[in-house]
Amino acid sequence: MAGSISEVKKGCVIKHQGDLFLVTESRFTNPGKGSPFVTAKMKSITKGKTIEMTYKPVDDIAIVEVQNQRLQYLYKSGAFYSFMNNDTYETYELEDEIVGDSAKYLKDGMEVYGVMYEDRVIAVSIAPKMQYKVVDAPPAVKGDTASSGRLLKEVTLENGLIVKAPIFIKTGETILINTDTGEYCERINE
Amino acid sequence: MQHVYHIDKNFQKLKTRFAILKLIREFLWQDDFIEIEAPIVVKLPGQEPNIQPIPVVVKDDKKKKFAGFLHTSPEYTMKKMLATGFEKIFYLGKCFRDEESFGGTHNPEFTMLEWYRQNASYYDLMDDLENLSKFINKKLKFNNKNIAKKWKRQTMKQVWHEYVGVNLDDYLERESMLALCIRLGYKPQKTEEYEELFYRIFLNKVEPFIGKDVPTIIYEFPKCMASLSKQTKDGKYAERFELYYNGIELANVYTELNEAEEQKTRLVAERLVRRKNKSLVYDVDEEFIDALRAGIGNCAGGALGVDRLVMIFTMDKNIDNVLGLPMSKIFNT
Repeated sequence: MAGSISEVKKGCVIKHQGDLFLVTESRFTNPGKGSPFVTAKMKSITKGKTIEMTYKPVDDIAIVEVQNQRLQYLYKSGAFYSFMNNDTYETYELEDEIVGDSAKYLKDGMEVYGVMYEDRVIAVSIAPKMQYKVVDAPPAVKGDTASSGRLLKEVTLENGLIVKAPIFIKTGETILINTDTGEYCERINE
Repeated sequence: MQHVYHIDKNFQKLKTRFAILKLIREFLWQDDFIEIEAPIVVKLPGQEPNIQPIPVVVKDDKKKKFAGFLHTSPEYTMKKMLATGFEKIFYLGKCFRDEESFGGTHNPEFTMLEWYRQNASYYDLMDDLENLSKFINKKLKFNNKNIAKKWKRQTMKQVWHEYVGVNLDDYLERESMLALCIRLGYKPQKTEEYEELFYRIFLNKVEPFIGKDVPTIIYEFPKCMASLSKQTKDGKYAERFELYYNGIELANVYTELNEAEEQKTRLVAERLVRRKNKSLVYDVDEEFIDALRAGIGNCAGGALGVDRLVMIFTMDKNIDNVLGLPMSKIFNT
């Protein structure tokens, strides 16, 4: 499938020089001189080597369709993250490199999507917005963070992640987090 | 409350941003520059083939419609002012470019410093940029050691020799550049313009390696790549430079082309490229050509991406963090 540069995004798979590459990072640039381009950091699925490629709109980009498999996150043991396919009960032990940035958003029992290639999980993607319980929400102290301290403070979530949230958030409440930016979205009233 | 939270999250960075804006003005005012205003709504924006203006419609009191655009740069307005005798002027304000990413190193609405010096060349503007950055670094006590060092200045020919291993003099024509692209393993279309071919190599083999340690000025661009600038004495290159630091392009500067007919020829050619690319097409601004006919003297002008300059000092990778309200928050993308 020939793709356009706007399809070159984190998590997509591209066929390049006979090998398959997973895009781990992409950056769109419109330099204002010369046509726009996208710079992609891609990791070889077979060799693990990372390369950087620049694609222009006229380029033929071979985007490969991949299967997404629903997986449940079980726990972390040592350097590995355990996931289970709830339909087949098959488990996958994934290393840090595969879980990537998503690692900090994982919480026990959470559902994620595994990007599958020949029965292997090559990447993990999580929902764009996730709910977390706040386990620690100290009173705001003015001047202790980059923010003004009038509206935001740092709170700790059930999985240990620290995010900026409005000062009215209390311990025990549930909040919605944008897993792309790590930003607070809203409080969930139960 | 998402807007207020965004501002609050970046409270200190925004304070830094506004302090930098103040210092840019102070720096230029000390040097007897005049801050000018340029209309943001224009009828005929620049013809650069890869810059897209945002269309707007204005209605008068009788609801008669006028089609215009938000300016992509204040360049035409400022050159019209130079033609009347203004000598050292700057614009510090918003410019708009369509079809840009929301976030990263772009925001469709961004802040530009554009400045012109009469009786000057682009070498003077290299000094302006270096001195301005060092002034901010010192005044706001950032103590950024790389900015404080002496900046690197290299010609385009030198960096191509260093990183691509070729003599750029031999690749100033479309055919030879096309052959070089193919030899280096790229798969360009046969009909690609010189500039496209040039950037295929430059973006992959050169740009990632320049300005890593100290801010680096790359000067003398192949002449066909600078439609608003003057040529070097040998006629092969144009007096244009760009400033790079930490992998980001920060500024683009020219010794301005002051010949009206030559300018018109280049703009008409660019307009044809716009048509070919199926971009928005509009007439060449004859009032701008008239300004050159009246004479803008021997001047140099530059454009500095102010948001990106702020990102360097706040060490941010995303422009959104140094903007009060970026597009991504305005449209909640």
